[in-house]
Amino acid sequence: MKRRILCAALALCLLCAGLSACGKPEEKLEKFSAYSFDYFDTATTIVGYAENQEAFDALANQAIARLGEYHRLYNIYLRYEGMENLCTVNELVDGAHRTVTVDRRIIDLLLYAREMHDKTGGMVNVAMGSVLKLWHDYRTIGIDDMQNASLPPMDKLKEAAQHVDITKMVIDEEKSTVTLTDPQMRLDVGAIAKGYATEQVAKWLEAQGVRGWLLNVGGNVRAVGKKPDDTPWTVGLENPEDPTADYLAYLSLTKEALVTSGSYQRFYIVDGKSYHHIIHPDTLMPAEGYLSVSVICPDSGMGDALSTALFCMSIEDGKALVNSLKDVAVSWVTDDGKQTVSDGWKEYVKK
Amino acid sequence: MEHIDKTRLRRNDVIFIAALLAVVAIAGACLYFLRGEGNTVTVTVDGEVYATYSLAVDRVEDIHTGKDGLNRLVIKDGKAWVETASCPDGICAAHKPIHREGESIVCLPNKVVITVSTADSGNQPDIVV
Repeated sequence: MKRRILCAALALCLLCAGLSACGKPEEKLEKFSAYSFDYFDTATTIVGYAENQEAFDALANQAIARLGEYHRLYNIYLRYEGMENLCTVNELVDGAHRTVTVDRRIIDLLLYAREMHDKTGGMVNVAMGSVLKLWHDYRTIGIDDMQNASLPPMDKLKEAAQHVDITKMVIDEEKSTVTLTDPQMRLDVGAIAKGYATEQVAKWLEAQGVRGWLLNVGGNVRAVGKKPDDTPWTVGLENPEDPTADYLAYLSLTKEALVTSGSYQRFYIVDGKSYHHIIHPDTLMPAEGYLSVSVICPDSGMGDALSTALFCMSIEDGKALVNSLKDVAVSWVTDDGKQTVSDGWKEYVKK
Repeated sequence: MEHIDKTRLRRNDVIFIAALLAVVAIAGACLYFLRGEGNTVTVTVDGEVYATYSLAVDRVEDIHTGKDGLNRLVIKDGKAWVETASCPDGICAAHKPIHREGESIVCLPNKVVITVSTADSGNQPDIVV
């Protein structure tokens, strides 16, 4: 009889365990999310596991606040009261750029941008601001007033392209200053700043001991550790040719960044033809050949810069560049909708 | 005599445990499938959850934001989309209908995010980019 009671107790325990396992796979951690619309001209999503809403909010709000600081520092169009940022670095005073003492985070970004410029053979160049400003201005007008949309004239673009020499961005690390020695040059960090800032916020979260979070700053995705049930994050990669079709891939991320550059992301239409925002440094026109280029790598800043650079290169040259770097995997979708991947890509595709 | 009794008890115990295990399995399966049907969209406005709707129920909901922001959400045949919106760019209204886990429609001007989620997220992506 004793044994029967024991058995019954055991079975009841099993029943309870079975039911609770079904109902709540992640023990006590719950999934929360937060959104922000204020930074880098895009939507930011933070997803993460925490013990409760308060614990999640406390960290998520700090992460978003940090993103906001980077947004203000790296803003090339807006200046903020009482601070130097890239807008004030770009400003002309009496026909010349000042030597501006800036926050260390600006120095770090620009040094990283210079490194990526050299690594990509100049295919991503933050000193191209004068060229990109022309495109930005014509695009802004063209989106507002579609009937009168026009392209920036080639002679203006060529004139601007005389002033894109990144060696004329002079950085003094010790004094934390930056000087643009060509009065006609401008910085535009659009190809790198968002990814770089995302990476810094992710690193800050990691330093807080956070695991099981995922950041998505306008398509700059960065995973901060596996989910609490020890599974990776799954990211659905949309098919750029037909967003209603099946996903191009389900990707598994645990600590990597995934950044996609697409010709469909930011564009305007002139005479029925679409002109996107990734400008080739040589042709000074939107880079041709791809619908999207996606990069998986350990660093979101690198992913951001690489996806832009690879957009401006042939697949062959791109593969050579990717193979010269560590832990970088790439997917190219060409204009005909065909996907080509680099050697490492399949490792991240969920089976 | 005692020996036979022990054997019988053991056999009964086995039947008893098997029955209980069957109950566990059935209960687990019921829970699992009940959870599986809950495809929903969650609407947040400026980061705050505004409402959650089932994708299984056709409906039209006006999402009011700020002073006079408006996004009209339509749910039909298991898909959700924005029919009309007060925002100047209209990007959210041009967005294709969403129904797969992790997909979302974002209206930047009105700070509205509509995301598909499922209680049972077995093999679905956490986000879509």
